[in-house]
Amino acid sequence: MAGLGSVCSRRLAGFVSLLLLVFVAVISASPDAATGANETLRRPSGHSLDDSHHPRNSSEHRKAFPVLAFNYEHVSKPFVISLWILLALLMKLGFHIIPRVSHIVPESCLLIFVGLLVGGVIKAMDQTPPVLDTKLFFLYLLPPIILDAGYFLPIRPFTENMGTILVFAVVGTLWNAFFIGGMMFAVCQIEAAQVGHVDLLSCLLFGSIISAVDPVAVLAVFEEIHINELLHILVFGESLLNDAVTVVLYHLFEEFAHEGTVTVGDALLGVVSFFVVSVGGVMVGVIYGVLGAFTSRFTSHSRVIEPLFVFLYSYMAYLSAEVFHLSGIMSLIACGVIMRPYVEANISHKSYTTIKYFLKMWSSVSETLIFIFLGVSTVEGPHNWNWIFVIFTLILCLLSRVLGVVGLTFIINKFRIIKLTKKDQFIVAYGGLRGAIAFSLGFLLTDTEKKDMFLTAIITVIFFTVFVQGMTIRPLVELLAVKKKKESKASINEEIHTQFLDHLLTGIEDICGHYGHHHWKDKLNRFNRTYVKKWLIAGDRSSEPQLISFYNKMEMKEAMMLVESGSAAKLPSLASAASLQNAQQRAPPKQRAIPSISKTREQEIRKILRANLQKTRQRLRSYSRHDLFSDPFEDSMSEIRFRKQRVQMERRMSHYLTVPANRQETPSARKVWFEPEHKVYTYDESESPRDGAALETLPDTVSLLSESPQRPDQSSRLRKRGDAEQSANAPDSQEEPQKLSRCFSDPGPKEEEEEEGEG
Amino acid sequence: MGSRASTLLREEEIEEIKKETGFSHSQITRLYSRFTSLDKGENGTLSREDFQRIPELAINPLGDRIINAFFPDGEDQVNFRGFMRTLAHFRPVEDNEKNKNLSNTEPLNSRTNKLHFAFQLYDLDRDDKISRDELLQVLRMMVGVNISDEQLGSIADRTIQEADTNGDGCISFTEFIKVLEKVDVEQKMSIRFLH
Repeated sequence: MAGLGSVCSRRLAGFVSLLLLVFVAVISASPDAATGANETLRRPSGHSLDDSHHPRNSSEHRKAFPVLAFNYEHVSKPFVISLWILLALLMKLGFHIIPRVSHIVPESCLLIFVGLLVGGVIKAMDQTPPVLDTKLFFLYLLPPIILDAGYFLPIRPFTENMGTILVFAVVGTLWNAFFIGGMMFAVCQIEAAQVGHVDLLSCLLFGSIISAVDPVAVLAVFEEIHINELLHILVFGESLLNDAVTVVLYHLFEEFAHEGTVTVGDALLGVVSFFVVSVGGVMVGVIYGVLGAFTSRFTSHSRVIEPLFVFLYSYMAYLSAEVFHLSGIMSLIACGVIMRPYVEANISHKSYTTIKYFLKMWSSVSETLIFIFLGVSTVEGPHNWNWIFVIFTLILCLLSRVLGVVGLTFIINKFRIIKLTKKDQFIVAYGGLRGAIAFSLGFLLTDTEKKDMFLTAIITVIFFTVFVQGMTIRPLVELLAVKKKKESKASINEEIHTQFLDHLLTGIEDICGHYGHHHWKDKLNRFNRTYVKKWLIAGDRSSEPQLISFYNKMEMKEAMMLVESGSAAKLPSLASAASLQNAQQRAPPKQRAIPSISKTREQEIRKILRANLQKTRQRLRSYSRHDLFSDPFEDSMSEIRFRKQRVQMERRMSHYLTVPANRQETPSARKVWFEPEHKVYTYDESESPRDGAALETLPDTVSLLSESPQRPDQSSRLRKRGDAEQSANAPDSQEEPQKLSRCFSDPGPKEEEEEEGEG
Repeated sequence: MGSRASTLLREEEIEEIKKETGFSHSQITRLYSRFTSLDKGENGTLSREDFQRIPELAINPLGDRIINAFFPDGEDQVNFRGFMRTLAHFRPVEDNEKNKNLSNTEPLNSRTNKLHFAFQLYDLDRDDKISRDELLQVLRMMVGVNISDEQLGSIADRTIQEADTNGDGCISFTEFIKVLEKVDVEQKMSIRFLH
């Protein structure tokens, strides 16, 4: 206990000192950047290597060649940026070292608090801290978060609840904007407030800025409370889709705040504009998504740049949408959603991992920076605190959210199969957090006198929602016993039965003549399968049924888990019986002296496995953005573990080696390795899982064969049997290598027993 | 269609069906008009051919099995009562249903009954177990012709292994329920019959 405490405090001390160092660096760097800029202005010639702070050194006499020089302004900008990011990440690290705090207070609050501190320190030193520049926010900080959210969006719950989400996003946001705007105008008429100069349009503009639920804040808070999937997708989906409404309302009122009046024609144009913005945004996203998927079809020869395509096409989608004032967020989401299934089928496993990690990394950094900058900008001001305005804004925000959610749910429940309960409504209402988007939009305002007041109110609302609602939502969730997210392992049963039920429901709908959800989904799937997949997916994966890809993925995942853990005993997978039954029914395998493998053999094996693992895709369902589910895939590639596993396998293995000739054979590969502790079923057919697909590991198989002189008789027997079982559609040119590969795979149980004499 | 259809369906019948299945009056009339539009022979019952005439069912991998589910054992014709009884399984579950428990039997659209309906689509020989062969047949229907038997076999084996708790190599109804406990069956197996 004491030892643990001392370890923790030591770590803490070390960490705090590191933090102080970075703090000082940041703060000194900012003024240095300023003075550095001034210096360069004063000295137009400034390319010398001389010390920039000592101009008097450039005197008459010939200087010695400077061995060491100090030239800061040369790197000042990237230096400062990097320091800020470093600070942000160290903060993040720090929160997780202190366990108790991070449990109570959500990370976003802590980050804002740190921002406040840093801003305060910088201000105390009379420097100007960097503010959350709107361009910086919308062009650099926001896209990674949205892309991460969109790429890993859980499609099934999203589409199933699409109607509800759209109603909340569109109608809810409109209601919020008009209610808040209208009521604030009424409030402004109160004499005591001294804000009579704020006209209706400005109020409506303010209402539209503050009404939108913010995806960044929602993600940050909801990530940590692990709420059930339905509520998560409702609030989160709403926060994403309300961007279109916000964009239209904002531009509408901004335009007309200058004009002063809004006619009916303008209002109609606004409605049309809404459709253009949202549908247009989605179309742009879809176009780029299809382009990205199509490009990924051809990347088999340059795997290293595959992730870049995903990122760049998505970013281009966002930027292109922004060019036309369409909804960039919706474009980004659409691009990610469309691109993902096809890209995942095409790219290598390593690229997939790269994409996953990079997206999470960028979004994490962005989010951290946003919150810190929010804190810093708060300190910076300028502020115009008006008690009545701010208080009423806050109250009205909460009120309108509650009213909106309750009212809309009443209507929506008439159309839903699973109704939203009061608890659900409460969480949805309570989860309506405002965040940095509102702040940035407010920052964009041009009218300075009202802008300060608006900004102050916006910041107050943001702080309130993030701090108060963010901190209390977790205990409330516990108190109300809201259903949490069920952690479930991917189960082949669920997949099969879900697909089965889909078909069943589609059939029943057709019988009833009812063109419902399943009907259209089925049509879409069929369209996807017949046309789209053929165009966008390379090779023979284009005709692979979903069930098969799912199964392959699962098998691969389990196999890697087993390789890593080194023992097969507990896992219930790898049912396929052949080898297991072989091992059981044969004379005890331990009696057979299995020769130790040579070093070269080991290399070959490793190479083959790695090559095969690159071909499969991982489809992890990933909601959490701060910690990735531990992925045995990556971990298990360490050589040491592999060697250990080899040694253990040798002791157990009855067959020598299974060389997977193509992807579809990998299930059988793993079947060989593991100890058959559980009872297994009779398996009459032989285990020859090939379908004439291309043999990509051909050279490996051949080389392995050449290396196995030890068991010529066994191989020949296997080869004979392999001939007999050769599937009809195997191409002739590949007959020979197929036979060879089949030698090393599992033969069927019965024949094995008959023919296998003595090892 | 409207007037002729409703005169053929007497009020008492509607009441009985309402009590048995829980559908509302308008839903029953609407489904009755659908029933008559499918009934080309106009004899008040549907045969298998009538179902097969529905174009989308032909391309549904489970089409035949679904059609069979409507026909009670051995018969070739199904009347409106039977039609509604089968469709009742797909009514959404209502919370207030639990309160008005008129009869002792569970309503047809309870979760267990929904799952039982799905189970029977797998279990053709009605021995209350999904054997490996039955599972293979269903898999083959869903996956198409391009996948080898061996691979399907390994999938089937894995499926059974995951679900089988008593080690008999088949999936019983209780095991089936357990496997699907995380799936939101009430939503997945419900059709929104508009009022």
